[in-house]
Amino acid sequence: MVWNPVQLLRRRAQAWWLARHRRSDTLVLSQRNLYILPSRPGLFFCATLLVLLLASINEQLSLGYLLTFLLGGAGLASMHSTHSNLQGLSLDLKPPAPVFAGDDVQLDLRLHNDGAASYGVGLQVKESMPGGDLDRVAWTDVPAGGHAPLQLRFASAQRGLHELPELQVLSRFPLGLFRAWSVWRPAAQVWVYPRPEVNPPPFPVHAGAGEGQAQPSRLRQAGLELDGVRAYQRGDSMRQVLWKKAALSLDSGVQGAPLWVRDSQAQAAQELWLDWQDTAGQPDTERRLSRLCAWLLAAEALQRPYGLRLDGQEWPPELGPGHQELCLQALARHGLPPARQAADRNP
Amino acid sequence: MNSKAFRRSGQPLARDTRDTCFLLAIIAAVVLPHLDHLPPWASAITGLVLGWRAWLAWRGQALPGRWALVGVLLVTAALTWLSHRTLLGREAGITMLVMLMALKTLELRARRDAFVVFFLGFFLVLTNFFYSQSLLTALWMLASVWALLSALVLAQMPVGQPSLRLAATQAARTTAWGLPVMVLLFLLFPRIAPLWGLPSDAVGRTGLSNTLDFGAMAEIANDDTIAMRLRFEGPVPPPEARYFRGPVLGQFNGRSWRPAVMSFPGRSDALQVSGPALRYELTLEPQRISVLPLLEMSGEQAGTMRQVESLRLSRAGELQWQAGRPITERLRLDASAYLSYRHGPQQNSLVLQNYLDLPPGLNPRSLQWAADLRRQSRFAGLEEAQLTPLLVEAVLQHIRTADFSYTLAPGRYGESTPHLIDEFWLDRRLGFCEHFSAAMVVVLRAMGVPARIVTGFQGMDNLPQDGYWIVRNSNAHAWVEYWLPGRGWLRADPTAAVAPERVMQGQALRPAPSVLAGVLGQINPTLWLNLRRSWEALNNRWQQQVLNYSRQNQFDLLKQLGVSQPDWTALGQLSAAVIASLGLFGAAWSLWQRHRPQDAWSRQRGQVLRELQALGLREAAPHQSPGAWAQLLQERFGEAAEPAARLLREQEAARYGRSASAQPPRWRERRRWLAAFRAACRPCRS
Repeated sequence: MVWNPVQLLRRRAQAWWLARHRRSDTLVLSQRNLYILPSRPGLFFCATLLVLLLASINEQLSLGYLLTFLLGGAGLASMHSTHSNLQGLSLDLKPPAPVFAGDDVQLDLRLHNDGAASYGVGLQVKESMPGGDLDRVAWTDVPAGGHAPLQLRFASAQRGLHELPELQVLSRFPLGLFRAWSVWRPAAQVWVYPRPEVNPPPFPVHAGAGEGQAQPSRLRQAGLELDGVRAYQRGDSMRQVLWKKAALSLDSGVQGAPLWVRDSQAQAAQELWLDWQDTAGQPDTERRLSRLCAWLLAAEALQRPYGLRLDGQEWPPELGPGHQELCLQALARHGLPPARQAADRNP
Repeated sequence: MNSKAFRRSGQPLARDTRDTCFLLAIIAAVVLPHLDHLPPWASAITGLVLGWRAWLAWRGQALPGRWALVGVLLVTAALTWLSHRTLLGREAGITMLVMLMALKTLELRARRDAFVVFFLGFFLVLTNFFYSQSLLTALWMLASVWALLSALVLAQMPVGQPSLRLAATQAARTTAWGLPVMVLLFLLFPRIAPLWGLPSDAVGRTGLSNTLDFGAMAEIANDDTIAMRLRFEGPVPPPEARYFRGPVLGQFNGRSWRPAVMSFPGRSDALQVSGPALRYELTLEPQRISVLPLLEMSGEQAGTMRQVESLRLSRAGELQWQAGRPITERLRLDASAYLSYRHGPQQNSLVLQNYLDLPPGLNPRSLQWAADLRRQSRFAGLEEAQLTPLLVEAVLQHIRTADFSYTLAPGRYGESTPHLIDEFWLDRRLGFCEHFSAAMVVVLRAMGVPARIVTGFQGMDNLPQDGYWIVRNSNAHAWVEYWLPGRGWLRADPTAAVAPERVMQGQALRPAPSVLAGVLGQINPTLWLNLRRSWEALNNRWQQQVLNYSRQNQFDLLKQLGVSQPDWTALGQLSAAVIASLGLFGAAWSLWQRHRPQDAWSRQRGQVLRELQALGLREAAPHQSPGAWAQLLQERFGEAAEPAARLLREQEAARYGRSASAQPPRWRERRRWLAAFRAACRPCRS
């Protein structure tokens, strides 16, 4: 390996930068992580001041001097105002919900403010994830001693488990002559599942899968038809409870009315295996994953227990969000190197 | 204001409209004082453009295209050229600036455009000071700058519909934080001379100039701005002696008077003074001429040099004080004057030929008139020394008795005839000081009496303000000097003959008072007079302390601070010291802030905890509630701790109870509470 001083220096600078901004789900803006520089209008303001000063000198205008220095003083003070507009804010981030590739990732942030009110606080995604670019600033005001919610969206592109992109908190308030900003590298990661295929074919039929038949007609009626309803028993999943019905009976004043659940016993028999091999007709890996994903979602919607076989691993047939998540994550991970252990995370 | 930036964050149109109208109103306020000296078409276009822009904003309609704007801009540039014959001078520049500002409002597309408007606005504010630096102007401009900064703040608040009041408060707060910087810079920033020459952009107003065009101005406006301020150490000169000697004009070409070019070389005028010297301090406003008008007659001989600040003055042959360049800065100097003096050659000499020149072939009727007067029998056979005073008296007598009128609006002379003096002296007989003086000099020269015009100021305000006597630009005057054998140059003032009050009261004709002033003056003259006096006194203080703040004041300030030899170096060192100490203070402040909790509640908790630990309650910890601390107090001290414990429990209720407020208590309340708590803890200490 050739020893290259520029490269070395750059790597060192990069390391120093990363060490300064460790990944974390909360960020407290303080003097250590806030930066401030004159904005472009600020530079023009300086030029204006210079012209004003020259005019005052040449015309010997005392009031001109006063005006120039008044504006100069205000500009200088605005540097402090801009800095303290951000200083003391703390930000936190809810773990982002997984998305399907191509959908927007939504970040739910909260800004807390212990001190005086902050105005015109902006957040933007600094470097979007590969392929996505939604370089927009979301603005908010944070009241004194209160907090403000803020949502940021950016496009996801490829499936997998991704680090969140670098965020930038910025403010130009009050005069716009300075731009204070800080860099936030959230620790949370976001799952991007393969994009489900639109109009997938019927479920695959496996020999020896018992009486479980693929029923195209059922797929079309997904979500419309229930096999039956019965009273709640211990061990039933919360998802099976008919909450609307429970709420209705509560409203009508019936005490101790039983909870009703969907009866999935009938479906349990129609056990479904989704196998990588079933998608052999698709031209490439992504489309195969898309199809598996679409099947998976359909089976969950139909409350038909499904199992997944992928990469020599097996997830036995089951239902429920936990199972679905595991399976989708397996699809998202397929063929990708294992997630990098982020070394620069805050404990 | 700027539509794009806000539409992006999905603002309702109402805010856009409001911000745009606010900005337009500010621009109108900044341009308003300019209406006085803008060409009428410029005022009209500005009004139209601003009104149209407001209407567009109101209706939410699209802005005109770029090419339309370029077209309008070219038209205004052409109009400016027509009005001013240039695009570069000051007047033309201001006209263009106003037009640019108005047109830019039609082009508020991006953030950048908005900033251009703000910065143009600041510059436009400054241009107002070219014309007036009075207290009123200053206040009006302060309000304008405040409004501009508020609009700037509004532009940085993209969320919701912030009130103008909030933006104004924020702007005022930022500006207030900047005030110390402003004061320091104003006091310490070195006052230097102009960096390059000024374009000689003559503003038509009363005042001094280096030439005099006879009858060129149909009307002169009384310019009541202040030209000089004087403070006399001893007695004040009597009204008839209040002549300030400016440029001396000896050469006439039939239309304009210029300083005499000495075609016959001669010595400078000798000067003898006698009697007591009148000492006074003079503050001169920038005059843009290179002659310093001093009270007649200062005692130095011609050829004397004098250094006032960075200005080199020398006394010219005709005893005016000549500066090497136009006096563009405010000057303060000490001078003295002798009321009895003689100057000029005592015997006839060749140099006097310069003051007998007349343009050949012009004004034959006036020359004939002079010859007729000279030929009168009463002047026959007299010695020159006796004759000259009689001739001068005869001319003055003629002015007094013939139907001459003194007026500031005599109309233009020389429209139809090259014989300007004839037209004045024999036909129309309307004029002000320069007409009378010029005609008298021509007539005297025609009779063989050497004569010349002296311009300068004559008279002062009737009453001093704060001890300062004011000479205004409307006091500009022209008079005559004629030569008498054995006596030298003598002053004669033909204006005094036609309008004695102009000279005795030192006042030019007054313009009619404004309606308000008239009514007030009618109802309560004393009140009106007092109001006017105190206003002028206030204005004078403003002039003396703010507008006249100069290098001299800077050095005086250094002296007061104990610098024995004030100079630029000392000023620089002082500035460096101030900057360094401010920087250190800032660093210390931020260090202190870093270890201090941000919010009021935490600060208060910290104070209470320190108090408890001072009482020896080691087990009190930051994570406990005030109620827990109260319990600890009572366990340790029993009854004695009851008042303190009650205060703590009350605080807990106020912070976390049912009626708890989200707002932390204000600083004053916190201090009061802490004092009460300390008092309540006292029993535990004993």
